[in-house]
This record gives sequence, C-alpha cells and structure tokens, in this order.
Amino acid sequence: MHVDNIQKNKKITVTIDGKVCHSTFGKTILQIARENDIYIPTMCYLTKVLPIGSCRMCMVKVEGVDGFILSCQEKATDGTVIATQNDALYKERQNIMKLYGVNHPLECGVCDKSGECELQNKTMEFNVDQQTFMAKDQFRPVENWGHVSYDPSLCIMCEKCVRVSNEITGDEALQIQFGGYSSRIINTKQEKNYASLGEAAAVCPVGALVSTDFKYTSNAWELKKIPSACPHCGGGCQMYYEVKRDKIYRVTNNYEFATMCGAARFGFDYANESAAKDTKAFQAAIKAFEGAKSVIFSSIISNEEAYILQKLKERYGYKLVCHEARAYQKFMRAYSSVSGKNLYSGTLKALSESRGIIVLGSRINDDAPIVKYHINMASKRHRARVAYLHPIEDTEIKNIATQFIKYEAGGEEGVAALLAEALLKEVELPSSIRDFLDDLDIGNLSAECNVGEEELAALKQSLNKKSGFSLVVGADLYAHPRAEQIAKIIALFEQYAGFNVMCIPPAGNAMGVSLICELDDKSEGPNIGYNVPADFTLSALGDGDLDMPAMNQQEGTLVTFDKRVVPMHVALPYRGYVLNDIANALGVKSEYTIDYTKELPRAQGFKEEEFDHLPDAFDLVGNENRGYLLEPINVKTNEEWQEIAEFEAFDGAVVYCCNQAEQFSPFTAKCDLLKSEAVLLGSQQFAMVAKLQEGDCLAFTIDGIRFVRVFKIDTSMKGTIALNPTFDMGLSSALLSSYRFSRLEFERVGRS
Amino acid sequence: MSGIVFSTWKDEFIDNRGKSSDESSESAFKLPETYHGDRDSKAFIGWDGVAIFDEDIDAIELAAQYAAQYQQYSEACGRCAPGRWGGRILYDLLDKIARGEGSHEDVAHLKEISRTMMTTSKCEIGKTVPKPILDLMEHYKDQFDDAINHQKASKHYRGDISYIAKVTAPCTDMCPSHVDIPAYIEGVRDMLFGDSLAATRQTMPLAHTCGRVCPHPCEDACRRANLDQPISIMELKRIGADYEADHGLPWHHPYSPKPLRNDGKKVAVIGAGPAGLTAAYYLALEGIKVDIFEELPVLGGEVAVGVPEYRMPIEKYNKDIELVTSLEAVSIYPNYRVNAERLKEIDAGYDATLLAFGTRLSKKVYAKNENPKMGGYWGAIAMLDQVNLWNKYKIGEPASLKLKDKTVVCVGGGFTSMDVVRCSIREGAKKVIMLYRRDEKTIIRNTTYEEYHEAVEEGVEFIFHSAIEEIYDDGEKITKLKVNRFELVPDPNGGRAELVKIEGGDFEVECDYLIPAVSQAADLQLLPEEWGVELTSWNTLLTNGKDYMTSRPGLFAAGDCEYGPMTIVNAVGQAKRAASVISRYIYDKKVSLTDDEIMEDHLGKLKVYDKNEKITGWMPGLPRAVSEKLGVNERKTNNKEVNLGFTGDEAIAEAERCMRCYYISMVAV
Repeated sequence: MHVDNIQKNKKITVTIDGKVCHSTFGKTILQIARENDIYIPTMCYLTKVLPIGSCRMCMVKVEGVDGFILSCQEKATDGTVIATQNDALYKERQNIMKLYGVNHPLECGVCDKSGECELQNKTMEFNVDQQTFMAKDQFRPVENWGHVSYDPSLCIMCEKCVRVSNEITGDEALQIQFGGYSSRIINTKQEKNYASLGEAAAVCPVGALVSTDFKYTSNAWELKKIPSACPHCGGGCQMYYEVKRDKIYRVTNNYEFATMCGAARFGFDYANESAAKDTKAFQAAIKAFEGAKSVIFSSIISNEEAYILQKLKERYGYKLVCHEARAYQKFMRAYSSVSGKNLYSGTLKALSESRGIIVLGSRINDDAPIVKYHINMASKRHRARVAYLHPIEDTEIKNIATQFIKYEAGGEEGVAALLAEALLKEVELPSSIRDFLDDLDIGNLSAECNVGEEELAALKQSLNKKSGFSLVVGADLYAHPRAEQIAKIIALFEQYAGFNVMCIPPAGNAMGVSLICELDDKSEGPNIGYNVPADFTLSALGDGDLDMPAMNQQEGTLVTFDKRVVPMHVALPYRGYVLNDIANALGVKSEYTIDYTKELPRAQGFKEEEFDHLPDAFDLVGNENRGYLLEPINVKTNEEWQEIAEFEAFDGAVVYCCNQAEQFSPFTAKCDLLKSEAVLLGSQQFAMVAKLQEGDCLAFTIDGIRFVRVFKIDTSMKGTIALNPTFDMGLSSALLSSYRFSRLEFERVGRS
Repeated sequence: MSGIVFSTWKDEFIDNRGKSSDESSESAFKLPETYHGDRDSKAFIGWDGVAIFDEDIDAIELAAQYAAQYQQYSEACGRCAPGRWGGRILYDLLDKIARGEGSHEDVAHLKEISRTMMTTSKCEIGKTVPKPILDLMEHYKDQFDDAINHQKASKHYRGDISYIAKVTAPCTDMCPSHVDIPAYIEGVRDMLFGDSLAATRQTMPLAHTCGRVCPHPCEDACRRANLDQPISIMELKRIGADYEADHGLPWHHPYSPKPLRNDGKKVAVIGAGPAGLTAAYYLALEGIKVDIFEELPVLGGEVAVGVPEYRMPIEKYNKDIELVTSLEAVSIYPNYRVNAERLKEIDAGYDATLLAFGTRLSKKVYAKNENPKMGGYWGAIAMLDQVNLWNKYKIGEPASLKLKDKTVVCVGGGFTSMDVVRCSIREGAKKVIMLYRRDEKTIIRNTTYEEYHEAVEEGVEFIFHSAIEEIYDDGEKITKLKVNRFELVPDPNGGRAELVKIEGGDFEVECDYLIPAVSQAADLQLLPEEWGVELTSWNTLLTNGKDYMTSRPGLFAAGDCEYGPMTIVNAVGQAKRAASVISRYIYDKKVSLTDDEIMEDHLGKLKVYDKNEKITGWMPGLPRAVSEKLGVNERKTNNKEVNLGFTGDEAIAEAERCMRCYYISMVAV
C-alpha cells in the first residue's frame, strides 16, 4: 500500500471561519468549505475539472502558515485552522478584480453574458468602483470558430475552456497561446468545428467564448430555464431549455458539475410545431388501433409512453415491436443470466476513474459522445490505458486510445471469448465457465477474428495495475446473431473480475423500453407505427397520419446510462393529441401521461415516485440528485455455455450503419445547428474494392430500407468498411434491425 | 573589474556609493561582476535583489528593462491574473517614468501592484520580480524623483546598454542537464503530457531513461524540501515519455527538426551512449549532419549494456534512442571500434569530433594475488555486458550459465555494484554478498534509498566497513577471499572520522565469483600518441568544463570519458553544451558560448537554491507521492520493471505540490 493511499481517506478535522468541519485527507480546502456551505470567491474554479489556479481569488489564510494559501488546490491537513475572509485578503481579491477589469471592454449592454457574468458579479461584490491600474490596450478582433465565437478582448484567461476541451471532452482543440499580457486562447482544430466546443463555451465566466448562433439574440435574464434531460443518445444528460415566447433560444446545463455533447447543446429545434387537434385524424387513429395487431415504435419515447403501449398490449394483445430495444432486452437478459442482476453495474463516474478501459463493439465517439468524454477523463486524470476494439479505426479517439485492436466484422463473439480467455486467467471462476474458457480453440479463434495473440498479450500487459478496469460495449453486439452468448461472456467481467461494465444502450430510450415493455420479435399486420412508418403512422416529425409531440414538447421520464430515471419537462407548447389521449379513448384511462411515472414496473427496479416529486438538481459539491437510481433486481442465473459459433467473414466491401457524432435520429437531423450531409464515407481501399469513385451515387438496401448515397473518400480511413449514416432516413431508420455491418451490394444510380 | 557599488542581494545590504575604496564593503556572493571575457557587467538584477557595479547606472531603465524581460519571458507566466496584468502594468508604469512622463501616483501604483504580485502570483517569478524593482525605487529614489519632478527622460533612456536575461529555477540550476523541470511538471498538472515531454526534451532527449534511473540531484535543490519533502521530480519525467509511447504518437521534439543543411559540414561522435546520443540529437535538430561510431553491436552505451532491464526496460530506452536515430541528419555505425588509426581518419574527415566513449574499464580492487585473468574474477562491466546483451538482445549466452547456484562477492558501493548484485540474484546465484568500505548511510547517499532497500529485500547480504586483503585461488579459479574489517574512529580534534582496521577482525569468505565494481576508467588507447591530448590527473580527457573542447582543436569530449564515471544526466548536460559549441565551431573554428550558456554558468556559480530560505504561501505537510513497486517475490526471479510508475492521480497530486520556483535574472552589460 502506498503512503499516499494510507493518507487518503484518513479522517481529518479542520476549522474554517470558526466552524469545525470533518472531512477526509485528499480534499482541498475549497472542497471542504463548499461541503460546509462556506463561501470562498473564485473566478477560475470549475468543480468538474482539476484545479486550474489562474485567478488566485480563492486564497485564504491558514493559521501558522506564512503567506496566503490557494484553497482550490491545496489539500487541508488535520487540524488546519483557516480564515477565508480578512482585510488583507479582501484587498488582494479586490486588486485582482481590478486587474481583470484592465482594458476589459465596457460593452456589458450588448454582451451575451451580461446578467450571468462572473466578472460583473465579482466586480460588484468587491466594490471595484474605480480603476487605478492601466496598461496599453491591444487590438484583438473577434473570431468566429463555427459553433462558438471567441472575443480575446473579453477573455480573462481563466483557462476553464481549455481544461474542458482537454480534460472533459477530449477534442483537445483549445490551447493557451502563451505571451504574458497578450496570452490568449487559440483553436488549433478550427477546421473540425467540433460541437463539443459548446461545452468549453458553457463554462466561460465572461462573454469571451459564446455560442455563435445565440449571440446577440437575447438577454440572459429574459430567458426561462426549463430543466430537462436530453433524449438523443440515451445518456439522458442534464439540461435546461432556455425559452422565450415559445421558442428555444439555446440549451444550457449545470456546467459546474455536468457535461453534455453537441447534440444536446445544439440539437433542440426539432419540435412538431404545426400540430393541431385534428379530430378526424384522431378518430382514424382510434379505428386503426382497434383493427391493429401490432404496434411498432422507435425507442425515442418516454418511459410513460412505453408503459402506455405495454398496457395497451396487455389489454388488446398487440405485438409490441421496437427493434433496437428488443435486441438490447435480449442481450441484457442473457447478461443477467450470468451477472444475476437485471442491470449492468457500471457507471460513468467509475468509468472516468478507471486505469484501464476496453471498448468493444461500438464506434463510441459517434455512438455516445458522453461516454467518450468519460473515457477521456480517465485517460487524462488516471493515465488510463484504453484499448479500442473495433473493425474500423477511429481517428477521433486516437489521442485517447493506447491500443487499437482491429477485428474482423462479425467476429465479436470470438473477440469477447479471446478477451475473457486472456484477461480472466488468474480469476477464480466456476468450473463450468473455466471449462468453457479452457476448451476454447484460441489459435483458431484468433485467426478467424484476425486478432493476434500478441495483441492480447500487449493488452493484458498494459493493464499492469491491479484494479480500476472498465469494459464498455455497444450496439454492434446487440443485433449480432450471437448476441446472447456474447452477453454472457461480457457479464463474466462484471461478475468475476470486478470490471466496471457498461452495456451502452442504443440511441433513444432503449434501456427504459427494454425494462418496461414485453417486446415481440416480429410484427404482424395491420400495424400502427409510432415514429415508425406503418399502416397507420403516428409521427412527431409531423409527416404521419396523426401528429405526436416531439420529446421537447412532452413530460415524462427517461433512463440514463447510469440507470437513473430522470424527468423531462415541456419546453415548447404542443397543440395536438398525445398517446395518452388515444389510450384514454381505448379505455386505458389516466388524466396525464405522467400519472404513469409512479406505476412503472417495480419488478424492473422502478420506484413508486410521483413525477412531480422527482428531484432535478446537483448539490453544492456536485452530487447528482436527479430523479432516482433504478434498483438492480436479482435474477436467476444460468450457466449453460454454447460453443463459439463459426462465422463467415464478410468478403469485399462492407457498410457499417453509423451516424457521425451529434446525429442520432431524424430528430437531430431536423436541427439547424447540426445540419450535416449524409454520405457513404469510405477509405481509398474501400473505393477500390467496391469499384467506386468519389462522387458516385449508389443505391443499396438494408432491412428493406433503400439508401441512396453519394460516396465520398475519407483519406484518414483505412480498410474495406464504409460508414453509412441513417439519421437522414426519416422514421424508417427505426426499422433497421439487423447487425450493423453488412455486405455492400449496390446499384449505381449516377454521379453527383 | 569595476567592484561593487550597491547590492541588496539576499538581504546583504551594501552601499558603496560615494565611498572610497578602503571604506567599500565586498559581497559574500559570487555575483557576475564580469560578464564574459573582458566584458564587465554594469548591474545584476534578479529574484533576490539587485547589485550595481557601475556608478553611472540608470536605475529606472534597469527596473523597466527587468519588467520588460519578465513580460517577454512570462510565456509560462501569463497564466495567473496578477502575473499577467501585473507584469504589464509594472513595465508600462516604469517606462512611463523612464521616458519622463511619470507621476508620483505612478510610483504609488507600482508599489501597490508589486504587493499584489508578491502575495498572490502563481509562480515564484511573479512573486519575486517586484522585489529588486522596489529596492531600486527605494535606494535610487533620487533618480525616480528627478525624472518625475522634471518630466525628463532617465539618464540612459533607450541607450546602448544590453540587457541579457535568463529564467531558471533551483532544480533546473542543479540539474546537470538544466531541464526545465517546472515546465514538465506543469505539463503533468495540466494533463498536457505532450507539452510536458517537449519541455523535457529541450535539454534532455533521454526522457524515458532519466525518468527512471536518474539519481535526481535536482531533488536536493527542491525548495519544497524547505517546507516538507522534495517533489518526486524524476518520476514525473517519465509520464510524458510514457504518454508518447503508449499512444504511439509522433515524436514530440522541442521544435521541428530543421532540414538537413547539406553544406558539407559534418560532425563525428564516438560512442552511442547517453552523451553521444544527446550531442547527435541537438546537432541533428539544427540540421547538422552527424555520424555516430559505436563499438558494440547495440546502441545506447552503458544504459543499454550496463543498467539492467528491471530498472530500465530496453523497450523504453529504445524509444529514447529512436528519437535520435529517427532524425534525418543522424547516421549510425555500430560494431565500429575506433582505434588511433581510425580516429586520425575521422579527425581529418570531419569538421569536429566528439569523444563520448565513456569509461568501460573496470578498476581493480587492489588486493593481494589479484589476477584479472583468474577464473571467477569478472569485471563488473564485462559481467553486466553479458547479462544485458543476453536479456535484452539475446546476444551471447545467459549469465545464469555461470552464476546459477554460485556464490558471488561484489566489491563496490555505487550504482554499478547494485546492478551487479541484483542481477546476480536474478541470474540464480545462491548467495550474493556486497563488500563495502563505508557504511549504510553512505551507500544510500551514493545510490538511492530504494535501490539499497530493494537489494536487501531481494536477499543481497551487505557487509559494511570491509575490504578484501587477499584473494585465494586454486590455480584455475578463485576459491575464497580474506576480508578486513574496519571501524570509523572519530577524530578527537573534530576532523573527519577515519576508517581504522579492526585488529583480529579479519574473516574469510568462500566464493565462486569476485566481481569488482569499485570504479571504471576510460580506455584511452584510441588517442593517437602524437596528438598529445591533455588528460586530467585521473586519466580522463581534459577540457575547461564549459565548452568541452580538448587541448586539440576540433576534438571535443563529453560524458564519463571527460568527467570520469558519473551520471547519465551529467553526460547529457555536457553533451548538450558540447553540441551547442560544436554547432558554431564547425563554421568559424572558434569556441564560443551563447548568452544563455554564459548566464547559466554565472547562475551555477551564484547558486540558485537556498536551503535556509523560508517558504511562504504553500500548505506544508502534504506527503510526497510514492509509486507502486513490484513485490519482492514478483520481481526477484525475473527482469520485470520493478517500479510501476505513478498512477495518473498520484502524478497529478505530486505535480500540484510543485511551487513553480521560476526566477528571472538579468545582467546589464
């Protein structure tokens, strides 16, 4: 055991401004002060990153120590007596505020930050009513970086944005250009126009880094903050819609503690605005329901709506079909049969504290940016070794991954087995499992999956620390023909090796749906579609037979990656019918959709909580207090193992259904600030194998959905697999049900 | 020499203004009164005060220029509010006064901003810059008053005085390679590991190596020790290097290597050890063609064939080597033993030659019947060569063929002897004994605490205060040793204690192998006799220790062959300086130093670290981080790296303890 670890967690007592505070060694003076509700002023402190220490405002006086102590960075030791306020401290803090004011443009009247500006607040707090310092001004024009704009003359060089870019989102775009008085922030990756820079702008305490779109559109104080959860990727991140006169102006969040991705921040204008109460269409809908045998729906749905559908199923015997959620449900049930719990145990926090991380079966930066952020945090703060196992390399996570293991598409079962065999060697396992692993034909598997034994040995060696490992798996596995067997292998890591395992659900509220609905594999006609094209279509895009509210027009709950049930609130008015109206007409009665929140199935870990009683906040030190955590439910285990199936490797050109970061669904596709082109993106090698040229237009079919795509070459890509986005396919994208990789068989339809 | 006129350096107040020479006092400090050669200094100003050597000094201009240099050098220090704006305000106000536009209010503001900077700045540079400025404002008040009251420019405003500044830190000053330690530690703190590595490589290409096996003299000059314990400086160095290697990133050079000059100039380097690699690296970064000649089949010198795998994994060292050999301007000739004949050829064919061949002759223990040809007598260098060539490169045969189940006695006390005994354990020796003339405390001081304790844990038997008197053999091989024991007898007059042989304390040790690791000597056979190259009294190449040219023009020497057996970091520091001198010499055939190097030498003489200084503004009692090591049973039968290095959170917590003791000093010439 290290000296450091012995000291850590040691109980200490400190006195701050006369108040006796109990805490543990390792915490900073500022953290302990905040835990105890004692105020210390700061300008550069951001709770969610490690101390920056640029502003020096948080200096305090420690008894017996000469000089002032930087409370944001310095750890308290047992018995420390601290004064956070005295005349000398006040004077220095006031002088620092004066310095921040040197040549700061007096343009608060038109500054976006006015009203919520830390510089304004602290200038008043410290009574800076005259400027005694001056220095020669500099000419520093505003720069438009795409999603965000930077005004160096407003910048106080607190460095929060740079920290977020490096330590949290990992885009590593922002850097400090050193130069004393003329220091500034630079964007080294301007051409990428990362939406994640919205997170950097969110933490700017002044008006230096702002959303380009929002700039000069509203005063901060005119906007109403509506707390909610982001419905896009399934992460359910905390957010506020900021609304004025029935329009969302921007999305913000509790940036002190929470982060979200570009889709959450910039993908807010997808409401079904023109909907109205069309009674004829409503009658037609009731009729359609009465004659329907199935309801097909997309996983972009609240828990309560999913519950309504389940109740309708129970009453009318509908087949309930939600492809993504069904695949995930089967996967998690198989997983549970080994882990003994209905939910995976991993959390994002534990992921961000890992020393070793394995990612399997997900293009994680695109599938779930927020998960990538947490992997990045582990990489930066804990020097985590990150092994990224996937058939396609992703240059966007190169800075985080320490090992890329490329495997043959389709080989996920073999890869999972190889991982288990290599990493669980010294782990105590029940004999049936040990036998299963011992019987594996490693040489053969390794050849089939194209994963070298030396690659696995290197992976094993890189995990040289003794604990702190995470395994993140994703959607490639769920629709795999051998998903259930893969799930059981993955569960071994949680059950027997103490890994922090996360099975990232597909986009939308797939985890919630999988817990609430008894889903069927196939529909039979006639069928109703909810955000899926069908014989009768309910659509929140406004293009179906009856309008439905989009997610920002309704209240309800979602399940997050951390298995937390969180509330969404109404940001924009909706004037049409909702699913609950249909249910009422069909005899499943309830006044409001959210009346069902307390009825969500306890057998799956939901709690009997009223929607209106769900909390939605963080406490002073950042503990998340949003909604509630699902209670993991014990389930029966089953230790039957099958032999690893052989699989046929794809030959020739392959397409992989994958949306680029910030695109998840037809709803994000609708958002103005996320506008992006949907093309088939492949490497030079892919072009050769498929005999395609840049600009060729081709058509191909996956799960009965016809894609017409322009082909583009990405020179940073390698291999014979191309990326095929689905976000632009409207409601039909929810019909995709098969394994994400497929052989490309296409016809040419011209050139663009 | 002009003599000292005025000084506030380190609170030593001297004011000889208007005094006759016999009334004048002198400074106890080695202040740079002469800048270089016959150039006198007019003033020296720095973190701890100001010294004036010229009565005619313009104090306002001196203060303004010091503030200006701080502005210019504050690259790392534009990072806190008081430093960033305060530095600029200092300069603007001082310059305003100097050009004759200042007011007494400006003086008050200067004092106010100085106090805030000194109290709240992030780094020592911001905290110390105002001190000499305040001193000048106080003691040369008449000059300030004159400029303000008469609204006239100061007496040499924008004159032709040169101001030469340098930023240093106590650790940087103490490090023989002058690594910018606070910068690489800040890189770790900010989690900008690439920046950390690039900072190290400004003066130290072997970041993997010196992040693992450096005896870290810097830590003896760490101001944090004045408060609690020194920063674990050495181990933080490998964080950046490991980051680059783990992530398979392109090389983080301190700047983009310049294109090959192709001007016909070329430099020969004899020996591909730390010194040779370092010189090649900095010459090649400048685009100068370098050919390295190496006697062994492998590159890396003693770090490759001397330092064992469990301390310095070859995979990591190879990264340091590849960093150098990947440069276009570097060519390598292994298996090339340079003898006198070849050296003459090289000397004639190249514009400069750097000797960096180390000290690879094991010295004898000077016992009776000592015969290096006797079976069982095995010089440390040869023994470690065999161990390492096999373990790292599969060249030769395992040393275990000889050592398994044998009794090994090593005589030593330094790093090499530690490597010998710990390798012997790993090669399966049944009993390993270290004989050392002095005591436990000294062996720890000569190596490290960890090194000694790990050796003890692994089963090495240390016999202190002992020396071999006689070696016995059976005509074929050594059989046993007669060992004298000593005791330390204090000098009754208070002088140095003396080792005195204990009568009747002798004993015998049976052994199969005697491995002397007392010291090494340079193999000087390659020097053509007719050159008459001057040597030191301990038979190494003589240079002036500043430009590293030997008595023969164009022939330079760095590393152990110049200094005698010393540390890697010493070799790197010397070679870096030699490369700099060579880069100019090959064009003008003159040895010259840059201003930065001259200042470096001045600061070294003046001494930057002050172990009695009281530290303010930092929380005491925060423990130094200790990295995880392999347990004794996990390590003693294999060559796995013993030190697993810091975890990320340990590294960052340790980096947060660093007080960033940057100082800026300036000479007016």
